[in-house]
Amino acid sequence: MSVLARSVGNAFRNKIRTAAVVAVLALAIGLALAMLVANQAVGAKIQELNASVGTTLTVNPAGGQGFEGGGEPLTTAEAETAASVANVTSVVGTKALRVQTATTATSNSDSATGATQQTGPGGGFGPAGQQATVTTNLTAAVDAGTLGNRNNASGNTGSQATRTLPITATGIGAEVDSTGKALEITNGTGLGDYTASEAKALMGTSLAEKNGLTVGSTFTIQDKTFTVAGIFDAGTTFGNNAVYVTLPEAQTLAETPDELSTMIVTVNSMENVDSTKTAVQDALGTDKADVTQGQRNLETAVNSLDSVKNISMIAFIAALATAGIIILLIMVMLVRERRREIGVLKAIGARNRTIGLQFVLESLVLVALGSVVGAVIASLASGGIASALVSSNTTTTAATTQRGGGLAGTTPNGTVPGGGMPGGGLSGDGQGGPFGGASQLLTSVTANVSPGVLAAGIAAVFTVAIIGALVPALLTARIRPIEVLRGE
Amino acid sequence: MIVVKDLVRQFKSGDRTIKPVNGVSFELDKGSLASIVGKSGSGKSTLLSLLGALDKPTSGDVVVDGVSLAGLPDGKLTEYRRRDIGFVFQQFNLIPNLSAVDNVMLPMEFSGIRKAARLQRAKELLEQVQLDPEKHSRRTNRLSGGEQQRVAIARALANEPKLILADEPTGNLDEQTGGHIIELLSSLSRDHNTTILVVTHDRSLAQKTQRCFRLQQGRLTEEVRTGSRR
Repeated sequence: MSVLARSVGNAFRNKIRTAAVVAVLALAIGLALAMLVANQAVGAKIQELNASVGTTLTVNPAGGQGFEGGGEPLTTAEAETAASVANVTSVVGTKALRVQTATTATSNSDSATGATQQTGPGGGFGPAGQQATVTTNLTAAVDAGTLGNRNNASGNTGSQATRTLPITATGIGAEVDSTGKALEITNGTGLGDYTASEAKALMGTSLAEKNGLTVGSTFTIQDKTFTVAGIFDAGTTFGNNAVYVTLPEAQTLAETPDELSTMIVTVNSMENVDSTKTAVQDALGTDKADVTQGQRNLETAVNSLDSVKNISMIAFIAALATAGIIILLIMVMLVRERRREIGVLKAIGARNRTIGLQFVLESLVLVALGSVVGAVIASLASGGIASALVSSNTTTTAATTQRGGGLAGTTPNGTVPGGGMPGGGLSGDGQGGPFGGASQLLTSVTANVSPGVLAAGIAAVFTVAIIGALVPALLTARIRPIEVLRGE
Repeated sequence: MIVVKDLVRQFKSGDRTIKPVNGVSFELDKGSLASIVGKSGSGKSTLLSLLGALDKPTSGDVVVDGVSLAGLPDGKLTEYRRRDIGFVFQQFNLIPNLSAVDNVMLPMEFSGIRKAARLQRAKELLEQVQLDPEKHSRRTNRLSGGEQQRVAIARALANEPKLILADEPTGNLDEQTGGHIIELLSSLSRDHNTTILVVTHDRSLAQKTQRCFRLQQGRLTEEVRTGSRR
């Protein structure tokens, strides 16, 4: 019988005690694993939040915010200036276009009595004077409905009973939407070089469907034929009623070759966002650009999640230490109980290391059993534990985050309904701004017990168990073989 | 040959110094069967633990086949116990959750003997000590006292030791079973040419050994016999 076989046999020598020890160990290990899973889930959620909003700054022309104000448009030279600021990893310029169906554009223009019609990037209205109205053969995928017609009535003197809504068209300098988030292309490809003028476009799913277009189909803007290179899914009805073309193409269509509607500045890390915002603002000048930091509210939420992550890590370590202490105490008890047996083994020639190894292996058998049951407990409990941790730590933050969402869109000229107007100048998406859903994100942490996390957790448990078992194993070396004669 | 030279073991008990073994000297020839008798607390077990390297003497030496135990490090003493000594205890001291054959295999496992070889030898030894083959695989805590002592003797013989030390081997057995055990030890001593030293307070048992020593107040004297009992 090998040392391992003897250790396994010893672990089951007293079945009732073994069951009790395994149950206690399983609780500690289960809690440790659940906390690790929760930690990983919250960590993933933080990454997701960071990725969803990014460490971005939005630059608008100074004095131009939504429908209000005026000022001078941003230029490509200013984009280069922003790009040279420390900690800035990229600057993506956008050029917003207001694309109207050809017949509607004519009638709207007539009824608007010469008012400049403006659309902001991504569907919201942008700064005054920045948008060019261009015509298209596309039909908007969103019906005007009550909101569209009400907005029209409040902003126009015209009396059209129904209106065809404009389509959001944006020139982009990279494969991102107007908020800087990567476009999710579901069909076809991207536009390739976004800094080159090319008659290709990315089209939202609902707009493509409305117009019966697929990848390779063509449509026109300002009588120029564009080919649909890819279909993207923005995740919202409003967001999918949009077209993206390359930045130079949009500038050409608007006949403003050097102008930008907004710049999306990406910072290398969240910690540097504040300082970089100031640096970009200083570099561009307060009289030239307004720099806004859209992730401030989210940062609070992420900080809250960070504390949840820290709590779960501390709890993981505490549960791990508990498992280690349980093993330590159990094995100390077993060593004391088997002093005489250890003496016998030494008397018949067993080396100290052989006996120590036997006790370590015995403890690992108990830990292995505890880990199996603990893994089951963790798989059942980790979701609830993660949700409980997140919900108890983010209630306040979530409320704050919701208040920090974009403003409801209003339409002075009544031509573009639905789109929200975020305070930071980022595009509305019909859901109250880009950070309006943060509370949902925070409370939707999904704790999946992945094999990798489980393996890492169990490896940690075994490491702690070995450390816990080493102390009693070393104690066996102190037991003298003469113990065998005690009580003889 | 076992040579014991002026062996002393003393303990402190409060202000007093106790010497359960006080200047013990004797020699045992290879293959002899000897006994040490004495009252309870006379130091028999202490002397046995010194001979078996379970304990270290305060002074004096034990020399086994020319090798002195004095000053040997713990590792070497472990090796000595494993290779040269076989123990038989009054309370058997078998590992209760192991089978008879596994108990006998233990010392051979510690000596690094391959499993197949030690299994075969363990079975042979259990046959030699006349344990019913059906009980070879039975856990030792389910064997009778006599059967357990047979297993303990088989275990003591596992590594073919030079010296078997038996501490009250019949103390927990009835007279008839005890008699069988002594006969068994006697025959093993003969067959294996192994030196056996039995510690007992049972004079009738001591009478069956070749040489008999009396331990009294830490001092050893040999009782003179008229002839061999073997």
